[in-house]
Amino acid sequence: MKIFKSIKWRLQLWYGLILVVVLAGFGFTAFQLERGQVFRGIDDELNRRADILGATLHHPPRREDRPPPDQLPEDQFPPMLQENRAPHAFHLRPEDEILFGSNDPHNFYFKIISIRNQNDEIAKSTNQPPNEPMIEAHFPQPKNSFSPFPNQFAKPVPRTFAHYHAILKILPSGEMIEVGCSISNELEEIRNDAIMLTLIGGVILLIGLAGGWWFVGRSLKPISEISLAAVKISAGDLSQRINVAEAESELGQLAAVLNSTFARLEAAFAQQQQFTSDAAHELRTPVSVILTQTQTALNREREAADYKQTVEACQRAAQRMRKLIESLLALARLDAGQEMLKRLRFDFSKTISDCIELVKPMADERGVKIFSELAPLEITGDSERLVQVVTNLLTNAIQYNHDEGEVRVKLELQNGLAILSVSDNGVGIPSEDLPRVFERFYRADKSRSSGNAGLGLAISKAIVEAHGGTIEISSTEDVGTVFIVRLPI
Amino acid sequence: MRILIVEDEPDLLASLAQALREEGYAVDTAPDGEDGFYKAENYDYDAIILDVMLPKMDGWEILKRLRKTKKTPVLMLTARDQSRDRVKGLDTGADDYVVKPFDLAEIFARLRALIRRSANQTTNIIEISEIKIDTARRNVFLQEKPLELTAREYALVEFLALHRGEVVTRTQLYEHLFDENESSLSNLLDVHVSNVRKKLGAEFIVTRRGHGYCIE
Repeated sequence: MKIFKSIKWRLQLWYGLILVVVLAGFGFTAFQLERGQVFRGIDDELNRRADILGATLHHPPRREDRPPPDQLPEDQFPPMLQENRAPHAFHLRPEDEILFGSNDPHNFYFKIISIRNQNDEIAKSTNQPPNEPMIEAHFPQPKNSFSPFPNQFAKPVPRTFAHYHAILKILPSGEMIEVGCSISNELEEIRNDAIMLTLIGGVILLIGLAGGWWFVGRSLKPISEISLAAVKISAGDLSQRINVAEAESELGQLAAVLNSTFARLEAAFAQQQQFTSDAAHELRTPVSVILTQTQTALNREREAADYKQTVEACQRAAQRMRKLIESLLALARLDAGQEMLKRLRFDFSKTISDCIELVKPMADERGVKIFSELAPLEITGDSERLVQVVTNLLTNAIQYNHDEGEVRVKLELQNGLAILSVSDNGVGIPSEDLPRVFERFYRADKSRSSGNAGLGLAISKAIVEAHGGTIEISSTEDVGTVFIVRLPI
Repeated sequence: MRILIVEDEPDLLASLAQALREEGYAVDTAPDGEDGFYKAENYDYDAIILDVMLPKMDGWEILKRLRKTKKTPVLMLTARDQSRDRVKGLDTGADDYVVKPFDLAEIFARLRALIRRSANQTTNIIEISEIKIDTARRNVFLQEKPLELTAREYALVEFLALHRGEVVTRTQLYEHLFDENESSLSNLLDVHVSNVRKKLGAEFIVTRRGHGYCIE
């Protein structure tokens, strides 16, 4: 059922159930307490009368206190049976007579039975309740028939029937006094109270349910806001963020986590878009070389030598594209963490001097001199990739140098780090360009004629960082540039 | 027609220049912005093909400065294809904007359109009495019959036809029919003029003594 899938409805259902149970429990308890109280009151009254009856039974009022019965006016006759004129005929004291009878809505009655004499009635009031169940029925037979006073009746035993309530009291002298009254008033009052409690409980329940519904709705609102934002994001709008009004609650934390995820997604997408468009852009020029060269060559019949030139130009362009593709793939893999770096121990100083040898012809061409100061140093890492880095730094130092310039290479160990510095006294880099030097496709001279795509430093940085190191640049225009690479050994 | 190409990629520059020369244009080249700007300012080109990403001075800069003094039609050639780059180029003063890589045939057609427009010509066909010049196909017809003209002769005819009614000085002709690599010997021009007269009729090109030539 759909309703049970909704958290709101489920919460509401459980909450409603709990509320009902609590209210019912409370109501029932209150009801029972009141009922108990009412009956206690009645019992007290009954006990009082029973005590008076017991006292009167054993200490009958003195003759002087009462006029002989046949001298009393008729209407003053106490409501007592006259037949039982035993020597110890039972008489209530005048002041006790008002305790029984119909001057009270309770209609107190009494009955005194002698257990000793086979439940003979000793005395009783005239207002006996109709249809009273036989008392015997309630008396369990004593186990020991020689004991005529079963002690389970030491305390007054209550009994309720129809709308009467009575207590039975056994006297040690073998009489049993029953005092009872009508509790129809009480019963009605209790019934009214029960109805009232139920009604009030119902109203409270409704209010509680309504309040709960509102409150649950409010608490769950952030969730629907979150889904809304997520829907917009999956539809393509990566700039959406969830409005985090309450930062500390559980939902607020969830929203914060989601927001930062969305931000990273957006950045990753933007970077990917930028990268793709840069890459395509870089490919334009070599492709246009090939296109124009071939279209021109095919415009008319040519000599073999002309075709050869065209083909060579196409080759140069293709090589450029190949290098570009390699660089791009390397970067992409370094980005994705896929480049498995080798972790071997090797002599870094030897590696660097090999690189210097490699670039020497290029330096000589421009009259640039390379000075090196390399402390013998072993590090753990991928020597092939670090060769790439060193070569890149050296070629930059040579290219962006004046003729007859100098390049200084230094390797030393400091605080557990291998520090490599490559400095030149060349053209330098303007300070506004410095922060962008490691960006992809960034070139200090905006043209592309040197065949340099601007990825060398970006790749170097990625490799150095993959080794857990750092690379920095400082430069002053027309003075020179220094690159510092720090690698953990 | 004399064209200037300013482009830093040498293989591209070389083959584009060759293609245009084979099309009959006189072509000057410049591998960087400074050289390009200097030439553009100091010579009268019929059109300039200008790359944007150049060393020493970029294409925007050249265009901005050039437009202060010259009305030469400029066709921007660039790898930047974004709409805002095109808008910037056209608003800075370029007359056309082509994205690399491009089709050679398209460059030719756009050049022709630029040159046509600056001569207030609306079609590729120029008709002068019985002579019809098709500037797209580089053909000349006399009474519907095609004529055999050398590249240089055609260039001369085309230039004078596009400046019909104006007197074109010899200097101008030198400047527009020969590029920087060719030595312009003065009688070379006369030879071409007389050859054209032989093929198209003596009245076709009128000599204004002391001033130059013109087609009426």
